[in-house]
Amino acid sequence: MTGRPTEPVKTDDFVFESAGENLKKTISALYGGRALRIRHIDAGSTNAEEYEMTALTNAYYDIERFGLSFVASPRHADILTVSGPVTRNMEHALKTAYELTPEPKIVIALGDGACTGGIWKGSYAVVGAVADVIPVDWNIAGDPPSPRDILTGILGVIQQGRKEI
Amino acid sequence: MTWAIPYIIYAAFGLYIAAGVASLTAPRRNTLAQILITSGAACGGAAAIVMSIAIAGGVQDITMAGNTLRLHLLSVFFLYIVSTGALLTSAFAIGYLPRYAETFSLRAVNTASAVFVGGMTAVVLANAPSIFLIAWEVMSISAYFLVIADRSEESFKAGFLYFIVTQIGFFFLLAGFTILAQGAIFGTWRIVSENALHVGPLALTLSFFFFFIGFGSKAGLVPLHQWLPYAHPQAPSHSSALLSGVMLAVALFGFLQALTLFPVIVAQWTWIVIAVGLISAVFGALHAAVETDAKRLLAWSSIEHMGLLFAAVGIFLALQEHLYNPVVPRLASGIQLFVALHIINHFLFKVGLFMGVGAVVSETHTRSLDEMGGLARRWPFFSGAFLVLTLSAAALPPFGAFFGEWTLVQTLAVGIAALPPAYGIAGAVILAVVGLVAGLALFASVKLFSMIFLGRSRMTHAAGDTPLPRMLVIPPVVCAGLSLFSGLLLIPFGIMGGALPRDWFAMRIVPGAEMNGWFIFGMFALAFLFAFAVRRLGRGEVRTTATWDCGQDLSPRMQYSATGFAAPIRFFFRTLLITRKTFIAEPVSPQNPWIKRARLEWAVQSIWEHWLYDRMGEALISAAQLIRRTQHGVVQVYLLVVLATLIATIMLAV
Amino acid sequence: MNIFVMILQPILFLAVAPLFVGIVRKTKALFQNRTGASVFQPYWSLASLLRKEMTIPEWSTWVYHVVPFVVLGAAFLLALVIPAFAVGFLPSSMTNVFVLTGILAVGSIFLVFGGMDTGSTFGNMGSSREMTLVALIEPTLFLALGLMGAIAGSWDIGSIVVNGAALPWVGMAPVLLALGALVLAALLENARYPVDNPATHLELTMVHEAMLIEYSGTYLAMLEYASAVKLVAISVLVVHIAFPFYIATPIASLPAFGIAVAAFFAACAAAAVGISFIESTVVKMRFYRMQEYALLAFLVAAAALAAAFVIQA
Repeated sequence: MTGRPTEPVKTDDFVFESAGENLKKTISALYGGRALRIRHIDAGSTNAEEYEMTALTNAYYDIERFGLSFVASPRHADILTVSGPVTRNMEHALKTAYELTPEPKIVIALGDGACTGGIWKGSYAVVGAVADVIPVDWNIAGDPPSPRDILTGILGVIQQGRKEI
Repeated sequence: MTWAIPYIIYAAFGLYIAAGVASLTAPRRNTLAQILITSGAACGGAAAIVMSIAIAGGVQDITMAGNTLRLHLLSVFFLYIVSTGALLTSAFAIGYLPRYAETFSLRAVNTASAVFVGGMTAVVLANAPSIFLIAWEVMSISAYFLVIADRSEESFKAGFLYFIVTQIGFFFLLAGFTILAQGAIFGTWRIVSENALHVGPLALTLSFFFFFIGFGSKAGLVPLHQWLPYAHPQAPSHSSALLSGVMLAVALFGFLQALTLFPVIVAQWTWIVIAVGLISAVFGALHAAVETDAKRLLAWSSIEHMGLLFAAVGIFLALQEHLYNPVVPRLASGIQLFVALHIINHFLFKVGLFMGVGAVVSETHTRSLDEMGGLARRWPFFSGAFLVLTLSAAALPPFGAFFGEWTLVQTLAVGIAALPPAYGIAGAVILAVVGLVAGLALFASVKLFSMIFLGRSRMTHAAGDTPLPRMLVIPPVVCAGLSLFSGLLLIPFGIMGGALPRDWFAMRIVPGAEMNGWFIFGMFALAFLFAFAVRRLGRGEVRTTATWDCGQDLSPRMQYSATGFAAPIRFFFRTLLITRKTFIAEPVSPQNPWIKRARLEWAVQSIWEHWLYDRMGEALISAAQLIRRTQHGVVQVYLLVVLATLIATIMLAV
Repeated sequence: MNIFVMILQPILFLAVAPLFVGIVRKTKALFQNRTGASVFQPYWSLASLLRKEMTIPEWSTWVYHVVPFVVLGAAFLLALVIPAFAVGFLPSSMTNVFVLTGILAVGSIFLVFGGMDTGSTFGNMGSSREMTLVALIEPTLFLALGLMGAIAGSWDIGSIVVNGAALPWVGMAPVLLALGALVLAALLENARYPVDNPATHLELTMVHEAMLIEYSGTYLAMLEYASAVKLVAISVLVVHIAFPFYIATPIASLPAFGIAVAAFFAACAAAAVGISFIESTVVKMRFYRMQEYALLAFLVAAAALAAAFVIQA
């Protein structure tokens, strides 16, 4: 209990796309995004994104200090992060999880596969990007995105959601 | 008013006999028979009310048919139980039996029911051991016919075991009464207790244990309990309700009645009573927790509650030795109150549960909990009543059975403090065992309700979507309502003639151990209000979605079955349970031995059955094989044996 | 004045409960060398949940809807009967220890019903495990609480708590042993290490969380709040039994009440740090070793019984 190796994170110097309506509605309904619960869905990824995401909970990145936490059930979630191009086997599961998640909710596509289909784009085994299956509010690119990228992305979501139009 | 009592009792018996005759002669008129039994029960209840008024007025005996019938609170109490039970179950049977007209012979069931209820009423009112024993036999034999009512092989086996155990019990009772009364079993109870004063200590001990074995076997105490889980499920549900809720209580009545005849109760006897009662309670609760047949679960639960009651009676008797201690009379009154409250509460929730399960089984056509589920969606009101009964069976506040259990547990706790160390430690041990029994009973009740009503139906075929007929729903609902409020209603009336300070609203065993049912109810009402207020704070919409299935299609069989639900209990208590697993794999086609159809048969066997009953059965058969050797067919040897016996008898007589 | 204290005590518990959970998580984070969320995080979490929609599983019945009310009601009752900083303000029949075990049982089994009413395996698994644990810990609860009442001469929670202040150090030995058994039972009832991990995501390791999986929105807020209230109430009870010196009674003066309220907050903090210390140092046991845990708790209670009788002699 002597030192705190958690690194500080700044989000001002990134350029974000303009935030969508749903994002703003969700963040403003949920008290400015002070306590958001994230449920991760692996829709057919290489698990690289999951490794990076798991690193967010360690002492160095410490996602908890921003009020974000990971939950086990889609019913408990405010944010759904989806990784991987959506394989045909996982299409139904992803749609069900999206349906189960209570409003207001945000969907973040994590990794190149989820954002655009990545190297599997056009393959017979995948449906495509996550946006082809469920509405996506934010993309975090990278194959895989580093934990820092993921963290900046999620914090950017919150920040953009808090901005007035 | 007391002049009316004999006539009301005659009317009750007359109506029971009329019901029996009606069922024999006109078996299709089920409603008529049930109405006659119900009226008879109403007369029985009326007689009980008038008798209570008479006792309150100070009347000691009344004359009936030339004999004196002693008015005793014990008889009246159990007469209430018998009559109410008969009333509720016959009302239930009006709607229930026609559904089973093919399975049960209505003639046999209704005649046996009428005789059964009449027999129990006679047992409770008997004023001499002879009448008691005759009525006892009538009750037992008619119960046999109820057990074998569906004439299946399982029922005959169950009935056979029941018959043997009940006759063994009867002979023990006969022996007990004969020893105690010194042969005068035709005299009234007063004569018997006078004769009992002259009985020697050994004979007194023998008589006590004969009574304990006789009444205990009927009440389902180990080791003579094994007939109960086999016999009670086989009878039609309204009869099972009577067998479990009333007949076992009548067995307890018999034991209490016999105890009043004893001039002295030795402390060592009571320890055995307590031990046997507690062991029965533990095994009953354990097997109820792991059982997957709905009615058998309730049967084991009855064993558990009877075990607790007998243990409580034992504790009461053990305390009688220490009445010089100022706290002990209050402890004894506390135990007395527990016994009275618990008999009533157990009767209410057991009869209600059996009728409820009967209604459910009549719709699902299976008794196995592994195949039920989701019925709360179809029958919300009925499931609500069943939930009340289940929570009452689990002895949770604010339901009625909680107050009885509180009295027991609190009295034991006070005993830890107030009694000398050896008894204090015994009290603590008993408290811990009662805790274990309560926990396992909680498990069994939760399992029963969850498997039948919650989630999704586990049956592969859909059961009918009809609502339950009103006659099947009303009796369990009545039981549920009574068990909900019995705590409030009974405590004031329960503190009668005891050493506990009498207060309409509260009960105090010692200062610091108090209970007020109204406060508990008020507390729970307040809690609900608070929860509603919090709910109002929530502003979200409500939307029905699929169950979270992780992308797989959920089949109803993916839910936990009753077997799976109880698996941790089976594992943790594996020294007390025997699990038999048989794995049968048959090749589907003779050419290909690798593709097999597999089946797993699994059963939990009671260790009593395995180590005691099966062994005794084997021993009897080996003994019989040995004796068979004497049947060699040589006539000369037989004549020689007859001659030898004759000579020996003459020599003995001379 | 009496009414004021009577109302203030449960309100304190209800208000402080999410803060308590926040302190537990923060301390755990500090043990793990990270910053962690703010201690007021659970308040925001519950507030957000209240704003969310509720999605109901299709295979649930009316029991699913009743469960959060009963569980929250039971937690409220715990906040009501357990003394926060003062004893003697409620009638003793409401605060009897065996009524306390009854309330705990009601809360637990309705949560079990909630887990069973989903139509899926996860909830059923949690329910089966939770029900087994509740059944196994009953003897310990009865014995420990009954013994504490026997030592105190009264089975009213308030009297048990206050009795500790009057006992000599030797006399405290059985009470502390019984308290140890109670701590083990409390860890089990509140789904903490070593019995259950309240922060796990793996359904096979869940007991309490598994029963909440199908709840969302307001119902989830009610259930999470209920478990927070239960945690703080039982933890503060444990601390009070160990250190009852600052508990106020009806005859206390106003400054004494002030000290008692301050002691309540100190007790909360101490309990929270204690719980997170246990969670950071002890390993979660596998479920099929729970009979050993329950037996250990029972043996500690039995040792308390033996100690009580040895001291008496």
